[in-house]
Amino acid sequence: MAIEPQQAAAQRPMEQIVRRYPPEQRYLLAIMQDLQKEFNYLPREALGLTAAHVRVPLGKVYSMATFYKAFSLTPRGRVSLRACDGTACHIKRSQVIIDELRKCLGIQPGETTADGEFSLETVNCLGACAIAPVLVANHKVHAKVTAAAVREIIKSYGGRVDEPVGN
Amino acid sequence: MKIVIDGIETAASPGEMLLEVARRLGVRIPTLCYHEAFGGQGVCRLCLVEVTAGEVSRLVASCTYPVTGEIEVRTTTPEIERIRRHIIMLLHRRAPGSEFIQELYREYGCQENVPAPDPDERCIMCRLCVNACEAVGACAITAVDRGTDKRIDTPYGEASPDCIGCCACAEVCPTKAIGVSRAAGHYTIWNREFELERCAGCGRPFTSRPCQERIARLSGQELSGAQLCPECRKKQAGSRVALSMIP
Ligand code: FES
Repeated sequence: MAIEPQQAAAQRPMEQIVRRYPPEQRYLLAIMQDLQKEFNYLPREALGLTAAHVRVPLGKVYSMATFYKAFSLTPRGRVSLRACDGTACHIKRSQVIIDELRKCLGIQPGETTADGEFSLETVNCLGACAIAPVLVANHKVHAKVTAAAVREIIKSYGGRVDEPVGN
Repeated sequence: MKIVIDGIETAASPGEMLLEVARRLGVRIPTLCYHEAFGGQGVCRLCLVEVTAGEVSRLVASCTYPVTGEIEVRTTTPEIERIRRHIIMLLHRRAPGSEFIQELYREYGCQENVPAPDPDERCIMCRLCVNACEAVGACAITAVDRGTDKRIDTPYGEASPDCIGCCACAEVCPTKAIGVSRAAGHYTIWNREFELERCAGCGRPFTSRPCQERIARLSGQELSGAQLCPECRKKQAGSRVALSMIP
């Protein structure tokens, strides 16, 4: 199969990242972390290149890529919102936060808004249980978040929020 | 060393798995995720038994319990039955579509389970299929996602180029969760369609080309044009032996 020049050009930066590491299985996670950082998600071709480089079947690479919440298989938005729904946050009513995010952004966890601005995810534990419920917006940690705080956070990133009616 | 299973004394070699000793003795312990080819996994917990060493008794999964000393084993007690019934209830809630699980459910007199999230689900996530796929060197299917979304699938849920169509996954599945759809001369598994190759002896379609190639490679042989199905191969070997015995 002939590779289009465009496609080849897109592959080059991926290849560079992958080749930074020796071709050994133990570097798999590190390579995927670098790819995620660079592209804000794990492009399909990148996973293929990684699998070939470390000589691990694609199935195993895919399994790992879907296991860790730090990875995403679809492009994340400019602002990545990650709401913790681990045990402590859950008990501290993270569901309220997640519902508010859903309502304000009009997307479900795992989705990105149509304009590519916000993406929403739930994570299993951020290791910051003392400040539950926690919301992370582009690596900035927000502690003891409330529904009102959610609206403020979205606004601070340039999002439009309809004020709740009647209160 | 000597161990006692349900009152019967038997010998076990150190490190041998308790389940295997019991099977050799003819004692039936229910299992789901155990397969002779891969050993115990300790996933389904159905093989639970009570092990007493000296004064202490505890419940262990017999498929992953290596015998290391003199022990007394009971494979069924009211307590074990109660826990097993509970495990079956959970498995049934997860995979109510499986006839095998339905049978266990009836056999253990389970009643009034909570409604299942997916009434057609048959997979209990025992991973035997993943082990089988890895053993044949394909690794086309793996566990995907995590938590309640976890499932067995190919990358991106698409036909995998690594799949050779051997159907070992469907073969080992205890709950018949992996579908193989067959049509004349073809079959489809994990979204990939394979053409059936015919046996050079009887002409019966029996396996896929990639599968034949893999077998040839694993056994270090060249894949020559004509391939025989297992039955014809047996017959051929039999007649060869018979001929060699004629003086
Ligand atoms: S057979 Fe032992 S845990 Fe499944």
